[in-house]
Amino acid sequence: MPINYYIFLSIALFAIGIVGVLTRRNAIIIFMCIELMLNAVNLLLVAFSKMHHLKAVAIDAASTAGTDGQLFVFFIMVVAAAEVTVGLAIIVMLYRNIHSVDVNFLNRLKH
Amino acid sequence: MQNALQIVYLIPLLPLIGFLINGLGRKHLSKSVISVIGSGVVLASFAISIWVFLQVKGGNTHEAHYFDFISVGDLKIPFAFKIDQLSSLFLLIITGVGFLIHVYSTSYMHEEKTEHFGRYFSYLNLFIFSMLLLVMGANFVIMFIGWEGVGLCSYLLIGYWFKKTEYNKAANKAFIMNRIGDLAFLIAIFWLIQKLGTVTYSEVFTAANLAKLSTTDISVITLLLFVGATGKSAQIPLYTWLPDAMAGPTPVSALIHAATMVTAGIYMIARSNLLYSLAPLTMDIVAYVGLATALFAATIALKQNDIKKVLAYSTVSQLGFMFLALGCGAYTAAVFHVMTHAFFKALMFLGSGSVIHAMGGEQDIRNMGGLSKKLKITFITFLVGCIAIAGIPPFSGFFSKDAILLSAFAKNPVLYGIALFTALLTAFYMFRLLFITFTGKFRGTHEQEHHLHESPAPMTIPLIILAVLSIIGGFVGIPEVFMHGGDKLGEFLSPVITNHGEGHVSHSTEYILMGLSTGLVLIMIIFAWFKFKNYQRTEESGLGKVLENKWYVDELYDKVIVNPLHKFGGFLNSIFENKVVDGIVNGVGRAVSYSSRQFRLLQSGQVGNYILLMVGSIVLIFVLQFFLKR
Amino acid sequence: MNALIISALLGVVMMFSSFLLKDRSTVRSMAIAGLLLLLVVNVLEMNGVEFFNINTRDMIVFDRFALLFNTIAFLSTLLYLLLSAKEMAKVGVYFADYLALIFFILCGVILVSSFKSLLILFLGIEIISIPLYILTGSDKRNLKSNEAALKYFLLGTFSTGLMLMGIALIYGAQGSFYSVDISKIAGETPSALLIAGMLLLFFSMSFKVSAAPFHFWTPDVYDGAPTVFTSFMATIVKAAVFVAFIRLFDEAFGLLHLQWQLLVAVITALTLFIGNITAVFQQSVKRMLAYSSIAQAGFMMLSLYAMNADAKEGLMLYVAAYSFATIGIFAVLIKMSDYTFEGFNGFAKHQPLLAATTTIFLLSLAGIPLTAGFLSKFYMLKAALGTGKHLWLVIVAVLMAAVSVYYYFRVIQAMYFKEGEGQPMEVSKPFKWTLVVLAALIILLGIFPNILLSWLYF
Repeated sequence: MPINYYIFLSIALFAIGIVGVLTRRNAIIIFMCIELMLNAVNLLLVAFSKMHHLKAVAIDAASTAGTDGQLFVFFIMVVAAAEVTVGLAIIVMLYRNIHSVDVNFLNRLKH
Repeated sequence: MQNALQIVYLIPLLPLIGFLINGLGRKHLSKSVISVIGSGVVLASFAISIWVFLQVKGGNTHEAHYFDFISVGDLKIPFAFKIDQLSSLFLLIITGVGFLIHVYSTSYMHEEKTEHFGRYFSYLNLFIFSMLLLVMGANFVIMFIGWEGVGLCSYLLIGYWFKKTEYNKAANKAFIMNRIGDLAFLIAIFWLIQKLGTVTYSEVFTAANLAKLSTTDISVITLLLFVGATGKSAQIPLYTWLPDAMAGPTPVSALIHAATMVTAGIYMIARSNLLYSLAPLTMDIVAYVGLATALFAATIALKQNDIKKVLAYSTVSQLGFMFLALGCGAYTAAVFHVMTHAFFKALMFLGSGSVIHAMGGEQDIRNMGGLSKKLKITFITFLVGCIAIAGIPPFSGFFSKDAILLSAFAKNPVLYGIALFTALLTAFYMFRLLFITFTGKFRGTHEQEHHLHESPAPMTIPLIILAVLSIIGGFVGIPEVFMHGGDKLGEFLSPVITNHGEGHVSHSTEYILMGLSTGLVLIMIIFAWFKFKNYQRTEESGLGKVLENKWYVDELYDKVIVNPLHKFGGFLNSIFENKVVDGIVNGVGRAVSYSSRQFRLLQSGQVGNYILLMVGSIVLIFVLQFFLKR
Repeated sequence: MNALIISALLGVVMMFSSFLLKDRSTVRSMAIAGLLLLLVVNVLEMNGVEFFNINTRDMIVFDRFALLFNTIAFLSTLLYLLLSAKEMAKVGVYFADYLALIFFILCGVILVSSFKSLLILFLGIEIISIPLYILTGSDKRNLKSNEAALKYFLLGTFSTGLMLMGIALIYGAQGSFYSVDISKIAGETPSALLIAGMLLLFFSMSFKVSAAPFHFWTPDVYDGAPTVFTSFMATIVKAAVFVAFIRLFDEAFGLLHLQWQLLVAVITALTLFIGNITAVFQQSVKRMLAYSSIAQAGFMMLSLYAMNADAKEGLMLYVAAYSFATIGIFAVLIKMSDYTFEGFNGFAKHQPLLAATTTIFLLSLAGIPLTAGFLSKFYMLKAALGTGKHLWLVIVAVLMAAVSVYYYFRVIQAMYFKEGEGQPMEVSKPFKWTLVVLAALIILLGIFPNILLSWLYF
């Protein structure tokens, strides 16, 4: 499959994520949309990794070029997991205090 | 230590030490200790300055290099002092007049609490330090540091009596207006760095380097420097802070707003005279702005009733004269006038302080009158100051003002005419002030009348010294027509200043001009005497009575010249100054605070809005980058 | 490398001490000793003594620039802890954990200042950000703190998403995460993928340094977070991200500078404008400082715009001057109960020493000569002029510096020229002395900047 398909797919996922962040009011759903953005990146990285690898192998069969993209994906997953723990903890803390996770209620701090 | 030039660093260092001691110990030291330290350090600086001056007079100049202040790439800005004819002269003025004002302050401020007394003296010392830095620096950056320093100190000193909000406003105004000028100065410095890679005077003002600058560069740099000077030296349009700055204690007005700080702009331009001589356009602008300021401030001074306000506007006007001289290429005349003006304006401010002291804080001259009987020394010294500023020979003001008028005449007789007219106004309003304050009947309350007394010795002695200087100070620059080789000052300054436009007038013309100005000034004074010697509060009837007994010419004169002038002065004061100038200044402030309020609303507190704005900007930038650029 | 490993270990030690040690002052002393240790090993590394020899495949390289910045960061953190560690204990019960998080953040700081690969940049930024989300929300019962934490978290992860997308696009274009490889564009016009990736990275880094129009989180988060942590966030963290920003655009995108220079100029001008103008109208000093930090970021952006030798030196000086001054002001602010300008009325009378040092800090931030702030601004403007383009940017910067004088002087005015009761506050002797040291450092750097900058070259 041409690389362009992967690019378009992940850009589409990424855009859906952004639109979700912009339109939803529930903090958890916004957070899920951000996760969607991250996963779009993961997909793209893997696709690029494969592309670069194939290109390098065509010249030198023993080349390991292009593997670092997939490595990066693991780092993203780990960091995303850490973000989830912290993020959910913050949302739970907020829910305990105001019994809501609607971001529109967050307007004590302004101007 | 045979050579004073080796220890020049002590000159600014001593006031700095004084600042630290008085500032840190203001709660623990007694008033007398604070006075001794505060004045002592300045006296010591003065002593060294004299020594240095004598060395310089003997032909030794010196550039003391201490360490590299900034070194970025190939740009090196050393922390260095330059001691030459110009700076050594300013050193004498600053430390000398400064010392007298310190002595005066010990008595004037004596009723303050010890803590505030210490604070006051520490600020004064810091001010002297900054001013010395400004003058001694061997490059524009050091000058800029001193430049900002005096701005900061004047802010602190104007707001010294901080309990009144209006004083705070005056302090703010002074600082912010000064900052506007400073910015232009800073840009000029950057421009120099950009073009020449150096800001050291001895490197900038070389023929090779000056040749590197194009005409545009020179015009822009000199204009920017001049904008900086208008801020510090209170010229149109950045002058309004100076009259307001009279909120500070009177000795402060004498120090900052008459004798030293405001002359920084003159010093800067005189220092860069080689650059200015290459920029005829800027020279013209300087001359016209100076003259306009001189005339404008003089007309306003005609109407003022606050003793310090009259003096403040007179300062603005005299500074205008100095800029006129600079613009005409007569740098020596400008420096000469700085010197004589420092003497007589400090004298008059201190004298007004003595009057205010005696009147228990009253500043309105309409409530004074007849003070000459009770305040003999103050009156006589004030009279000396008035004669000096009016320009009657052989008092100091005559020589310096005459040099300026002459240079104006050489440039353009029209300039001379306006300048002469302004000089006449000066004589008129100064003597109006003198007569209303010191002659006639006392118009204040009985309590005040009871309280009237001559000020103590620490206040009168500086007055007497300054009065003597005001009388004899002019003899260092006797014009060539009177005495061959009499212009000692011009001779002394000749290594650092190249004069243009001076002395292209024949001797007979010069005599005629001098005679004309002196005669007219005398007439003005006599006129003021008849008009104001028995000044009454009920202006209309009193004035009519006085006029009835005098010549009808007087009345005519009054109708044709004085009244319109008064009206014009009032107009300028109320409409132009309050509406236009203040309007622009306040308008900028209001625009800032308005936009501040509007931009605050962007910060809505809503996460969704924030992200929307971010994404919107991202999309916009992407569109611009990819679709419009190609 | 010394400092990185030791800092991580110290973080772990702090975590354990939270349940092994009950005495807070012991924990505090340990943290301070730990920071001193960090400072020492870092200085040793500057002189060529390395304790650990780990093959990072050149993803992390400790050059002079990085090491000097780390020294500044550790020194600032040390002063910060000396001044404010006690206040940290008042935020919540997990004192040792807060300190642990600070050590972890320092790991991130070390990583972002010395990265050579985008992977390390990403990890460093995240290692900084995630603990900060926690610290922001550490005042659990305070709704403002909650709100700030959630806002920071949502906006922060969103910008992380942008950054990752940028990295992925760049990887697609260049096939590598190394800055060196990314900078190889071999003469031809750069591909759209590379430019898009670069822009996305630019946006996310702008977000982290709070450059307009990505600054919206800053005032809210700085205002809502416990003041002790605001101080840390606004100084050391922000400075570190700036160093990363410069490094990224110098090493990876240096050759593309025609593509981004105008953009950076516009963003810089906008940041300066918004930061300064909005700060004018604030009623709370804390919030004013938040906007002022945006304004100061605008000045630091000038170094990114200019991107020459002056700019890097200037950034070092700027970072030091800004961090010291801001830490000092916050240290005083934390002690106060009323954060409005009125709260500072008559401060000079009740706390003359504190008022005097605060004045020096404010003067430095406003850029008055003989303070470090003046010289750092001077360097920045000089660097910006050195590019010979976009003179208007310098003029905007200079004008905005004039506006900044207004709001900094409002505080000075309140302290010195207004009457007020003053607020009760407990101020210890060591606190005062640390403040004096901080003020002295600022003046010292303002007169002899070379004692800092000469470390860049040996």
